[in-house]
Amino acid sequence: MLQENLFYLFLILAGLAVAVFIYVGLSTRRPRTLEYAAVNHLRKRLFLWFTGILVLFLALTLPLMPYPNAEQRPDRVIHVDAKQFAFLISANPITPDEASGEEPVDQPTLNTGELIEFRVTSLDVTHGFGIYDADGNLLAQTQAMPGYVNRLRYRFTQPGTYSVLCMEFCGMAHQVMRGSLKVVAADTNKAKP
Amino acid sequence: MNPTNLSALTNAKPPSAALRRLTLAWFAIMFLLFPILVLLGLVMRAGQSNWLHKLSPEYFYAVMTLHGLGMVGLWFVAAMAVLSYVLKRYVSVSLWASRLAMALTVLGVGLLIACTLVGKFGAGWYFLYPLPLHPGGAWPAWSIGAFFAAIGVLGVGWLVWVLDLMRAVSRRYSLTASLGWHYLRGRTEPEVPPVVIITTVTLIAMVAALISAVIVLVLFLMEWLKPGFTNDALLMKNLTFFFGHLLVNLTLYLGVAVLYELMPAYCGRPWKTTRYVALAWNAVLLLVILAFMHHLYMDFVQLHAFQVIGQISSYLTSVPAAVVTILGLLALVYGAKVRWTLASLLLFLGVVGWVIGGIGAVIDSTIVANLRYHNTLWVPAHFHTYYLMGVVLMLMGAVFHVCQELAPMPENPGRTRLTIVLLCLGGYGFLMTFYYAGAHSVPRRYSSYPELLSKGVTAAQVSTFFIVLFLAGLVLYLWETGKRWRKAWLLP
Amino acid sequence: MAAALWLVVAGGMVRAQPAPVAPDLLRPPDENRYVDRAVPDVLLLRPAEPSVRLSNLWDQRPVLFTFVFTRCAGICSPLLHSLKAATAKVGGAGTDYQVVVASFDARDGPATMAAMAHDLGLEKAPGWTFAALSTEDVQRLAPTIGFWYRWDETSQQFDHPAMVVAMDHGRTARLLVGGEVSPVRLQEVMDQLHGKLVSIYPLPGKVAFRCFEYNADGRLRLHWGILLMLLPSLAAGALTVLIFQRRGRRD
Repeated sequence: MLQENLFYLFLILAGLAVAVFIYVGLSTRRPRTLEYAAVNHLRKRLFLWFTGILVLFLALTLPLMPYPNAEQRPDRVIHVDAKQFAFLISANPITPDEASGEEPVDQPTLNTGELIEFRVTSLDVTHGFGIYDADGNLLAQTQAMPGYVNRLRYRFTQPGTYSVLCMEFCGMAHQVMRGSLKVVAADTNKAKP
Repeated sequence: MNPTNLSALTNAKPPSAALRRLTLAWFAIMFLLFPILVLLGLVMRAGQSNWLHKLSPEYFYAVMTLHGLGMVGLWFVAAMAVLSYVLKRYVSVSLWASRLAMALTVLGVGLLIACTLVGKFGAGWYFLYPLPLHPGGAWPAWSIGAFFAAIGVLGVGWLVWVLDLMRAVSRRYSLTASLGWHYLRGRTEPEVPPVVIITTVTLIAMVAALISAVIVLVLFLMEWLKPGFTNDALLMKNLTFFFGHLLVNLTLYLGVAVLYELMPAYCGRPWKTTRYVALAWNAVLLLVILAFMHHLYMDFVQLHAFQVIGQISSYLTSVPAAVVTILGLLALVYGAKVRWTLASLLLFLGVVGWVIGGIGAVIDSTIVANLRYHNTLWVPAHFHTYYLMGVVLMLMGAVFHVCQELAPMPENPGRTRLTIVLLCLGGYGFLMTFYYAGAHSVPRRYSSYPELLSKGVTAAQVSTFFIVLFLAGLVLYLWETGKRWRKAWLLP
Repeated sequence: MAAALWLVVAGGMVRAQPAPVAPDLLRPPDENRYVDRAVPDVLLLRPAEPSVRLSNLWDQRPVLFTFVFTRCAGICSPLLHSLKAATAKVGGAGTDYQVVVASFDARDGPATMAAMAHDLGLEKAPGWTFAALSTEDVQRLAPTIGFWYRWDETSQQFDHPAMVVAMDHGRTARLLVGGEVSPVRLQEVMDQLHGKLVSIYPLPGKVAFRCFEYNADGRLRLHWGILLMLLPSLAAGALTVLIFQRRGRRD
């Protein structure tokens, strides 16, 4: 998973930093004069290398931004209204009656392989829409803000039941606010509404 | 007087009794509030460990709000207090603004304690719109008013203090001199020490941050009091993170300013302003104002241009830090005959924390990574690293330095080592549980964890052990620093 | 002759059966309910041209579809005039999209639709198709787009909502409900149909200050909110300059 790999990267880099500081700290046991010219030279090299690596990572990572691409068309649109303290998930835009709880919301079944566009908004405060797999890994998320619709596009590759957790602190039941998404393998659910 | 003459550093003019007492009073506030706020953090982690069944979610979130705002506010005022003291070498610091800030800080903290611990106000330290106005049954209307009053009181006091400190700098240096622009042109006269340049840059940005907080507060009040007035959630979020991001990063820079000023004497080497220092810190002024956009990556409705600017400026902010300050510190220390005391050790170690927190931050400021890390425990992981093992250690070192300077006492190297070991082991152990949990997708700001996130519970349980270690180190630190504080307080 | 007339009228009345009404009975459809619905592929009976399937059109370019009837004394004419004006302002009819004006009235056929096109001055307009549909096709198509029609005895007219449906590749993309089609909203629909994504996607509602508003010509317009974002930095700069200008002499 990406987040675990980045954790290892973090540990490696942090370890390197600590090693450098330990080395420099221990160097004070053998005092010597400092060559300012050498420091300036090192600074120039460090600047070029450091900035170069940053620019490289900018070039590699910016194209991977998860925002909807104009060229891509989603296969399915799912509407999500978050509120204190539940997620209303439907294949159709959610009516005021459904929002107030007077009518139940139809829970759609999704297919693997489909590019799904989640249109996420909030009926009250800012929430977060986070999709988790059964092992507790966060797959994707977006904010649920009142007055705005965030469009998150995601393609499920594995069937199963996915949990939706709230990713933005929203009040006293924030930690128990849950939704779920049922995903089936593409063959079993051919009919579209 | 040549400010960077080393003998002048050790023979610096002693402060007036009034400045001394005022500074020591600020330190007393820090000594009192810091352990309490750490204990509040311990309560939170213990709650998440499933050990405090009596702690309701409402109280958890109220404690979270007090802990967050308390820590952010505490280290801001501590940094300002230390910096004001240290700057007296170069500029005439007035006392009335500091006294006003102290009075308003105490009042604000009182209001904060009332609305959180009594009123159960729990909207989080940066009170994201529109949550304060939608308690969902958790807190009463009076606590909302008390919270806004606290923010207003703190904001006013701190803004006045910041403006007055800027005024003090302006009495001695012109604007272009205090920003070091002549160094960019290759001139070294007038000599402006790094602490002045960093202070100027930081204070300018701090004024922007506090004004942004005032705007947020006014808009909140208009919606609260005027029926039919609704704010735009995206605008409020941008304003909120503008002030929040700036406030915490600038507090870190205030600590770094103190580092530039204090560390050279311990190393027996100067740390002067050069073209690089001036260039780096002027770049920081621009970059820190843009980088706040990295808090809105998961708001897909934000303009893409802003998202890209957010990532670029977040990445680039690390360049002046790494290439000038951190390399500068390492060069200052490398092979130097360093007088390692509690003060210099803490200052040095604080920079390590800044670097490690920075690594976690740059990773999270990558948009594609943020999709997985945003609002998980990775976020508290990196900002607690910046604070607890970064600016907090730096300021603890600086406070000890000031107390030791005022009331010298011999140091016990064994106790110093033990203090450092406990603080670092406790601190980094605590932080690692956050990073681990964040890397395993455990969300932040959950008063308890469901079965799906059982790793969060384990991480919380382990973290409590490390917090206790840290507290033990803190007690030792307070004992050592407190002895000197008391002696300094009793001076005529 | 009177008997024949009577037969025609009676026949007309008999054939003009009430449509299967949508769940929102006798109300204009909620634009949001009919997004992304599959549209049946109906046969368009065109004047002076062979009949063509709707899919032949929407496969080439997006379709703006509207239901009217030629004997309409009410909303149809203003709707069509407004649609004509809006498409002229936005441009691109025939190249970026096409317009299909179809009748739901069984009394209409290709000839009456041709006459309607002539009256509007659109019979040779590029991208405009006037057509009739079979009753079965009308009854298949109407529910999917939220359209209904009901015969009103008193006025001897059909009661029906005024609406234009944007269709793309067999699915509804947007509904524009109302007798007047504004160029702004038409431009929004066009942008959406062409996959142009504007990241700002605010819900309609009155808020005090926004940063940006999406404007008809596809550009974002600055709003007062952006000033509030810039104000802190500008004020900080101004205060700094002010403070440093008033400084005393250096000591």
